[in-house]
Amino acid sequence: GQPDMAAYLTHQQKVLRLYKKSLRHLESWCIYRDKYRYFACLLRERFDKNKDVKDMVKATELLKAGEEEFWTNQHPQPYIFPDSPGGTSYERYDCYKIPEWCLDFWHPSEKAMYPDYFAKREQWKKLQRESWDKELKQLEEETPADGPRTEALPPARKPGHLPPLWWQYVTRPREIPM
Amino acid sequence: MDTALLLNTTMILTLTVITTPILLPLLSQTFQNSPTTITRTVKTAFLISLVPMAIFIYSGMESITSNWEWKFTMNFKIPISLKMDQYSMMFFPIALFVTWSILQFATWYMATEPYITKFFYYLLVFLIAMLTLTIANNLFLLFIGWEGVGIMSFLLIGWWQARAEANTAALQAIIYNRIGDIGLILSMAWLASTMNTWEMQQAFTATQTPTLPLLGLILAATGKSAQFGLHPWLPAAMEGPTPVSALLHSSTMVVAGIFLLIRTHPMFTNNHTALTLCLCLGALSTLFAATCAITQNDIKKIIAFSTSSQLGLMMVTIGLNLPQLAFLHISTHAFFKAMLFLCSGAIIHSLNGEQDIRKMGGLQKMLPTTTSCLTIGNLALMGTPFLAGFYSKDLIIESMNTSYLNTWALLLTLLATSFTATYTTRMTLLVQTGFTRIPTTTPINENNHTITNPITRLALGSIMAGLFITTSIIPTTTPPMTMPTFTKTAAIIVTTLGIILALELSTMTHMLTHPKQNAMMNFSSTLGYFNPLTHRLASLTLLNNGQKLASHLTDLFWYKKMGPEDFADLQVITAKTTTTLHTGLIKTYLGSFALSIILILLSH
Repeated sequence: GQPDMAAYLTHQQKVLRLYKKSLRHLESWCIYRDKYRYFACLLRERFDKNKDVKDMVKATELLKAGEEEFWTNQHPQPYIFPDSPGGTSYERYDCYKIPEWCLDFWHPSEKAMYPDYFAKREQWKKLQRESWDKELKQLEEETPADGPRTEALPPARKPGHLPPLWWQYVTRPREIPM
Repeated sequence: MDTALLLNTTMILTLTVITTPILLPLLSQTFQNSPTTITRTVKTAFLISLVPMAIFIYSGMESITSNWEWKFTMNFKIPISLKMDQYSMMFFPIALFVTWSILQFATWYMATEPYITKFFYYLLVFLIAMLTLTIANNLFLLFIGWEGVGIMSFLLIGWWQARAEANTAALQAIIYNRIGDIGLILSMAWLASTMNTWEMQQAFTATQTPTLPLLGLILAATGKSAQFGLHPWLPAAMEGPTPVSALLHSSTMVVAGIFLLIRTHPMFTNNHTALTLCLCLGALSTLFAATCAITQNDIKKIIAFSTSSQLGLMMVTIGLNLPQLAFLHISTHAFFKAMLFLCSGAIIHSLNGEQDIRKMGGLQKMLPTTTSCLTIGNLALMGTPFLAGFYSKDLIIESMNTSYLNTWALLLTLLATSFTATYTTRMTLLVQTGFTRIPTTTPINENNHTITNPITRLALGSIMAGLFITTSIIPTTTPPMTMPTFTKTAAIIVTTLGIILALELSTMTHMLTHPKQNAMMNFSSTLGYFNPLTHRLASLTLLNNGQKLASHLTDLFWYKKMGPEDFADLQVITAKTTTTLHTGLIKTYLGSFALSIILILLSH
């Protein structure tokens, strides 16, 4: 089934997050892949040894001890992927990502440089205005009472309808600007 | 043919040529700048600047040109005077050569940038400011260039202004440079009030200079050249694009502080306090930066700390009273450091933005030209015999060994030299050798001549520059000629020890021992705990004191203490004192009354 989101983390989520971050920090320590694989297998075995503990108190104590061990053994400069938060090229091109409503403020001489797009732009905007209420109605119907379960948006359910929030998707900026 | 006329004309022509891309679009309606035109302009300027360098080498001619004078007071003259001596005439071709190579590289590196022409424009304005600084004969013009390079550094580090770390890094650069500027302005003020001039010729007539203006100049150099104490901005400046790091923060801007000390060195010659301060500060900087570089994993940070370390070495040379040798090290360092940055830029782009050396490996087979030039640059940096770095670095260490100065500074410098070898070898091993650890789907490509030409040109410079400069410039002080063999080979021995240490560490990383944190590694990784301590502590104290002054002082002091509360406290104090005085010994009091009355009656 679909994974659920709520305001608090389950025990399983906490354990899995600890496992993933300890693997990532282990990868920062053990640069060479064979050495990393050796220690990763040992780590996995340590996690697997306690996987069937049913007593929640004991499980929470193990988790707490695991977090403390992680804190003492973490890498001072963990490897962060370049596009992740804290990475070297995170938010680098955000200064070039202008929202699409700025296109309405272009001078006609500038708009004349892209005649095909601007010729049809008014029709697209009219379409967006028309389908907005239907998108909202679909979202209101499909969201459960205590909040959405996932971040994924549902597809269009009826023929002739557009998927909800399609305008934000279609007019999103490029990842790396030209 | 009048040599002086030719010399002056070609130097001023060089400066005019590089200002054309700024002036021509203002004068003409149709002229548009582009990256290629700016690159070609700088190449032309480089070729023109070879003429004065050749004139200087073959005839030893130097000249000072004074143009228009800013007359705002009657007795204080500020002319635009340009000094064409060995330092400016040698630095111009080197700076222009390095800039030309970097601009050519940047046409490929920044090709996907929307505002690439503005980027090249900023680099050009920086170059003009730097050359103004170099050729200035008075401190006023030098200050104009000094501030110019500071501003352009800010604009270029924060080029990608949406990135929060880039903005903080640019601010850091500005603030640390400003703290250094306090020293420069102090020295300028002292000079203006005592010598009534800012011209370097007229200011250096005194034999003994008091220490205060020299301290100001050293503070200026500490700020601009990232010596220990005002150094954190240099590693943070790596947030800028790689051509910016290559031009500003390795070859040209960071040497402006050292250049200032070289220009004003007649003032330093007789003041041993200032010289010792330079020596010790430089030694501390070079060791500190080398220690930090050992555990860094970002390739640009390693090269940034390497720059910081070499700047410390230049400061050490100033402290040894050898400005020419410091200039030689500036010149040779420009070549291989710019090349190291360009190679790292090629590697970063080829790996799709990956800067961490833990995710590089085996690039020797994938990027042969780039990695060969990286190796040449690293060997030059370590001071391999007869490459460029050898001529300057080895001479510095020999001079230090044979001088009767601070042994502590000498030990620190030798240790820093071995650490240089360590982190260089570590970088080479992790980046180039072994099995590859690169991310998948990388656009590895070095078939473009805009990448390979600049790098190979700078590689040629790294190999030949040291030999060329030492053979063509006559030193003003005699280098040490005789020394024990151990002293002569000290530099190469410590370098070899550093390489052995790096190989040992590399073997240890292959062994199946689980690595843990330890105190030394933590010190090195967190850059000596300097950044959080100073950045947070300084702001916290300032803001706390501000709060005390602004709110607590008014409310607490004037409203409470001066008025009701303190009055009540004073009452309590008087009451307590009188209570202690009131011991209640009635009989003793009566006895003392009776005694004094009897004494008075008896005396009558």
